[in-house]
Amino acid sequence: MKVIEIRDLHKIYKASDIEVHAVNCVNLDFQEAEFAAIVGPSGSGKTTLLNLLGGLDMPTSGQILIDGTDLSMLKSSALIDFRMRNIGFVFQSYNLIPVLTAKENIEFIMSLQKWIKKEREERSFELLKAIGLSDRTNSRPAKLSGGQQQRVAVARALASRPKFVLADEPTANLDSKSASTLLEIMEKLNHEEKITFIFSTHDPRVMKMARRVITLEDGKVVSDDVRE
Amino acid sequence: MIIQIAWKNIWRNKTRSLIVISSVAVGVFAGVFAMAAINSSVVQRIDAAVNEELSHIQVNSREFRSSSDIQDLIPGFNEADSALKSLPGVKTTTGRIIIRGIASTSAKSSGVEINGIDVEKEKEMFTLNNKVIPGTGSYFGSDTKFNSVLIGEKLAKDLNIIRYILTPEAVARLDSLKIPSRVLSKLETISGERFTSDKKFNSELEKLLTSDETGKYAIHIKEAAWSYREGAKLILTFLDMDNNQTGAGFRVCGIFRTNNDMFEGMSVFVPARELRALTGMKEETWHRIIARLDNDDLTDKITEPARKALPDLEVLNWKEISPDLAMIADFMGQIYAVFMVIILAALAFGIVNTMLMAVLERTKELGMLGAIGMNRKKIFSMIMYESIFMSVVGGFAGMGIAEAVIAATQKNGINLIKYSEGMEAFGYSAHLFPTIDAGFFVSTTILIVLTGILASIYPARKALKLNPVEAIRTE
Ligand SMILES: Nc1ncnc2c1ncn2[C@@H]1O[C@H](COP(=O)(O)OP(=O)(O)OP(=O)(O)O)[C@@H](O)[C@H]1O
Ligand SMILES: [Mg+2]
Repeated sequence: MKVIEIRDLHKIYKASDIEVHAVNCVNLDFQEAEFAAIVGPSGSGKTTLLNLLGGLDMPTSGQILIDGTDLSMLKSSALIDFRMRNIGFVFQSYNLIPVLTAKENIEFIMSLQKWIKKEREERSFELLKAIGLSDRTNSRPAKLSGGQQQRVAVARALASRPKFVLADEPTANLDSKSASTLLEIMEKLNHEEKITFIFSTHDPRVMKMARRVITLEDGKVVSDDVRE
Repeated sequence: MIIQIAWKNIWRNKTRSLIVISSVAVGVFAGVFAMAAINSSVVQRIDAAVNEELSHIQVNSREFRSSSDIQDLIPGFNEADSALKSLPGVKTTTGRIIIRGIASTSAKSSGVEINGIDVEKEKEMFTLNNKVIPGTGSYFGSDTKFNSVLIGEKLAKDLNIIRYILTPEAVARLDSLKIPSRVLSKLETISGERFTSDKKFNSELEKLLTSDETGKYAIHIKEAAWSYREGAKLILTFLDMDNNQTGAGFRVCGIFRTNNDMFEGMSVFVPARELRALTGMKEETWHRIIARLDNDDLTDKITEPARKALPDLEVLNWKEISPDLAMIADFMGQIYAVFMVIILAALAFGIVNTMLMAVLERTKELGMLGAIGMNRKKIFSMIMYESIFMSVVGGFAGMGIAEAVIAATQKNGINLIKYSEGMEAFGYSAHLFPTIDAGFFVSTTILIVLTGILASIYPARKALKLNPVEAIRTE
């Protein structure tokens, strides 16, 4: 089943008099439960593409359909609501609310969606176990390592069962061991929960774990490999 | 959820939040306490005016206030009196005879307003009998057989109704002031002797001491030996009903001390029957009816009905008789408003600053929250709640402190006697007993919290302007 359809997507940044074609005529589809990496040299447009997919930025032209909904047709407040219900985000850093514990951070979006307490707690309990942090339930982010924080961020992104999760270089600030642990957890959850993961990376070892690798260069898709 | 996060956010930067909270607290405290102190002096003044000087409502013939003529009596006193008494809210009434005259002693004389009163009723209606300086008399007690008069401290001083006695206590006091013993020993000869005037005491001192010593110590000696003369005699002269000058000797049966020099210097009280005997005024004739109401707040409400009930008479309430009182109360209100505006402006400035810092510091976090789906309304309210919490916590702390300080100072008051001269001349006590009513407490707090809320709108809007993509862009 198709989750995302990208049609003739363009994003042009105008900085003073230079135009930067950050995303240049991209056409891509993503299916349910995909585990896809977007790779490419610095400045190739990975972040821009993910931001467009996440509805954080508006394309210059082209369409993004999520489950048939055209993102550009949504008004800004509806878009925020749409993001909350359909898209999970993992950023490179500043993912968590510093004053909340790991558990509370995971439950945050569920609370915004008004899940009842019992269901929230069952879900966060399950996810804390899945990310191997059952013993850090009540720790605040500052008390967790960078890798642990990113694991909590992944759990938070998944918690309310969005259609897909976007992660822009989630391992960029991690050492290689934490990076591979994070990726293993992401893959496991992708498998168990059947939620699409799309992440960008520079790291060849991370790339290797993806089942689909999309390579960008100068805003264009230059290869799209699916392996089994 | 949002509320919870907002509350926790406050404690992320404890020092900064505590500074804001304590400045709110200090603002509330300063506002409430200043008002309590101002209120105290105004309330005391009004209390004094009503309880000692004016009462709530005064009724007299239309001409009386301008003519001060003994002939301008209230026509049909009994009917007028019972009409007034029958109004709901009127507690008691009494009549007064009021005659202009001159009070004199062998030393001096002074113009006065002689009030002929019904002693028992006045005791019930006014608190002046409690203001009699201890040792100066019994306020028309049974010991006064002769014509008796109650006068104010200012008049007593003006008329020199004082005496000098060098009692052992006075000598001890002088000793403690380091007056040389050679001077004190010279004074021994007049120890216990009574001098009934300034002049006599001065000439005695000049005789006993060298001119150098008098120059240096006379002030202190007089201060220590000074006291009011009990049962002093003074003469009141005035015109009787037939416009003939009359007068009589009266014995001082008390000297009252209030905060109002004017009242102390002008008003003397004598039993009405003594005045009647001297002037030939008939029984049941009076110049004025004064009425006490059940409480101060009824003043405006009852004045009109009283006017309607007594169409031929002049009916005035204390606010009309003494418009300066109403004006000063107003003026105090204005001073307070200015004061409050300054406090609130400082407060607003502090909160705008702090919250703006808090927002800018958290740019990335707020961007992230926007990106993952926290809508504008929630982000806005989160920042608002943070400011509101600080204002509320500070507001309540300030109220608590104000409450405590007011309670602590209410018992003994705050004594500004050092700076009192100007105040007392106008009847304002220099001894403040801060008081405040609950309504004021609440309204000040609401103002402070409201300021907190208004001041946080700008930083909260700033938070909304953050673009998630820009905010979380990793550099
Ligand atoms: N807000 C912007 N204004 C102007 N130009 C931009 C803006 N954001 C990105 N660009 C430009 O668009 C191009 C693509 O940037 P993008 O951040 O998407 O690259 P990237 O593949 O994520 O790079 P990296 O691997 O370094 O993160 C770059 O040339 C960048 O300079
Ligand atoms: Mg990037």
